[in-house]
Amino acid sequence: MERIKEPFIHITKREPMPLWKSLCIRFGAVLIALIICAIFISASAPNSKGFFGYFGSLFSGAFGTERRFWLLLQQTGLLLCVALALVVAFRMKFWNLGGNGQVLMGCLACAMCMYYLGGKTADPLVWLLMLIASIAAGAIWAVIPAIFKAFFNTNESLFTLMMNYVALYLVAFFVSHWYPEGTGAMPPLTDANLPSLGSGQAGRSLLTVIVAIVVTALIYCYLRFTKHGYEISLIGDSKNTARYAGISVKKVIIRTLILSGALCGLVGFLLVGSINHMVSTSMDGNMGFTGIMVAWMGKFNPLIMAGISFFINFLSRGMAQVCTDFGFTSEALSDIVVGLIYFFFIGCEFFIVYKVHFNFKKHHGREEPAFSMSASSEDGTSERTGVEREETEKSAPAEGMEAGKSESTKTQQPKETEQIQQSELEADAPENEGAAVKAGEDKKTSRKKNARKAMEEN
Amino acid sequence: MDVFFANAISFGVIFLFGCVGEILTEKSGHLNLGIPGIMCMGAAGGCLGVKLCTAGVANPSGVLAVIMGILFAMIFAGALGAVYAFLTVSLRSNQNVTGLACTIFGVGFTSFFLNNVVLTEGVSTALSNAGLKFFNAHIPGTENLGWFGTIFLSHGILVYLAIIIAVVATVVLRYTKVGLNLRAVGENPATADAVGINVTGYKYSFIISGAAIAGLGGLCYVMGYMNGIVGSTVDQTIQGIGWLSIALVIFTLWKPALAILGSIVFGMLYILASRITGISFEQIPLLNMIPYIVTILVLIVTSIVGHRETQPPASLGLSYFREDR
Repeated sequence: MERIKEPFIHITKREPMPLWKSLCIRFGAVLIALIICAIFISASAPNSKGFFGYFGSLFSGAFGTERRFWLLLQQTGLLLCVALALVVAFRMKFWNLGGNGQVLMGCLACAMCMYYLGGKTADPLVWLLMLIASIAAGAIWAVIPAIFKAFFNTNESLFTLMMNYVALYLVAFFVSHWYPEGTGAMPPLTDANLPSLGSGQAGRSLLTVIVAIVVTALIYCYLRFTKHGYEISLIGDSKNTARYAGISVKKVIIRTLILSGALCGLVGFLLVGSINHMVSTSMDGNMGFTGIMVAWMGKFNPLIMAGISFFINFLSRGMAQVCTDFGFTSEALSDIVVGLIYFFFIGCEFFIVYKVHFNFKKHHGREEPAFSMSASSEDGTSERTGVEREETEKSAPAEGMEAGKSESTKTQQPKETEQIQQSELEADAPENEGAAVKAGEDKKTSRKKNARKAMEEN
Repeated sequence: MDVFFANAISFGVIFLFGCVGEILTEKSGHLNLGIPGIMCMGAAGGCLGVKLCTAGVANPSGVLAVIMGILFAMIFAGALGAVYAFLTVSLRSNQNVTGLACTIFGVGFTSFFLNNVVLTEGVSTALSNAGLKFFNAHIPGTENLGWFGTIFLSHGILVYLAIIIAVVATVVLRYTKVGLNLRAVGENPATADAVGINVTGYKYSFIISGAAIAGLGGLCYVMGYMNGIVGSTVDQTIQGIGWLSIALVIFTLWKPALAILGSIVFGMLYILASRITGISFEQIPLLNMIPYIVTILVLIVTSIVGHRETQPPASLGLSYFREDR
């Protein structure tokens, strides 16, 4: 008998998974990431308030006072607008990584109107000019790469990245041009500020929130119900099909990027006109990159993206509070936590699309492969594979969520599926540095889950 | 003028590290947009390594400090590279998105790490001493060799290391079986797999080693060019350098040997603003813009000219799944 060397890990594509299962996997991944961060931070902080104190600070930083809550909504609105701007381009598979630059250009154009016209012309007229200038500046910054992409197929992701830095230095130039004696920072302008729609932080944030809601609704309809939206999706799926269907690909690329840039410019208008009344090189708050993650994690669906951008802002605002409470001097901690969440979120997509089989008998040179690559006619083989597929799917939501199963499970149910999960999770572990800590912590919860699963199976 | 060229070289090698690292990664078919974050990680790790063997030590050994710096920079950068490799090779996630996540994480981590772990009391002096004395120690007696000595022999060890790595990478890519296999993996992984090349192994090893090399770029910026002086905006600066390094890959047509020249040109452009005298304060940002504008022009020109030889590896950016046929 010829000895066949079987690969230890065998990966197949899954049937499309029901929505609730995939949501469970995603929530589980995020939860694991959150718990890892909590353990690390509460263990290493100079002024630690413990594991539960961490979550307390997180929530109080985001929701603690009315002001904080409105700030959270405002940041969510801004981030969501940027993400929506990017998503129209991403649907077309155009990697617009230039959100930062487009927002900055919107900020700069708005600040220019305020600086040169504020106080000299009637305020409503200046507001109108600010709006037009911001939108135009953002659109121009996005359409330059789009034109070259459409006509010469220039690499758009690097082009837009470089445009970010050109915009950044343009802002730096104008700030030092306007205030040559200053320290490079611009004082807030007092003229031509957009009016506050109420009292306190709520009034200041309300305009942004309203704009974000309107933009979300419009983009949702634009992508879902209009001919333009259909053309964008079609180009994203296949340029050749689109061309064959009579769509002018170049025209759509340029038109879509004008829209994308214009939305980013609108964010710049809100940032300068309504919120900060000045411009600085870090005003974009890296929203161009965060927006990409939001768009990706939200599956390019505007409604899910609204939830995701709320969550990301909840984390970053909450982490700022954690930094203060726990005695860290650097605010960059929130980037680490958010980055870790991205890794887990990106990683867990795999378990939604693919299924992993483990082959434990590989070393013995077996006659009968358990998971043959071709369709095997041997009864035993196909039967076993079938049963396993069923069982793996049944316990699918548990995959990726639990780590470090208790030893007892293995002896109670010496089935291969259990081992599959066990090793799959172990394979998942190197992704995070805190696997060891996590395993210990999750042992408590995993016992509960095992009991529940046993009930389901009976 | 001699000093300008010398500075251009010592700055350019930062690009060279990043660029060679990205070339190796791209040759395996993976576009790693995490290079800026990875270079930041290298800076953080390098600072930690140097701190460990200089801060509080009575007579720190220079050789040890340099080796520890290089080692830790490569370990930190390689670790983030390994995360990227795991997510994109094994879990087949989108390379652009994963790369950006790496950048966000790496930049945040470095900013946090430098502030909270490395730059505690007394360490700054130890780092700047080490940077000046160990990393920038040049061959004695070269001061008297005129312009040649100034331009080519006045550098610290990292500059020569960068050029050695670039040359080795060229030789490996063009003249060895490993290089041939790697290029096959990047061009068409399915075919490479059919021939019996271990596609996953090649991808992992070259993504991680590419990341480790790029990480040295961060170390080179902090310890080499800045003489160990770690400012508060170091992460933002390295991020900008990282994006330029990725763009430089296209500029140098995926050839490490050309990258040596290209990175020196970029080094010149980058330090132009701080070297030209007689300009006003407000004009500096306009000069800072130049490398980015040049990159844009190069991108446009290469896309218009578009030779067969100047194309990226054919399967760049695509995940390979064996059963997708």
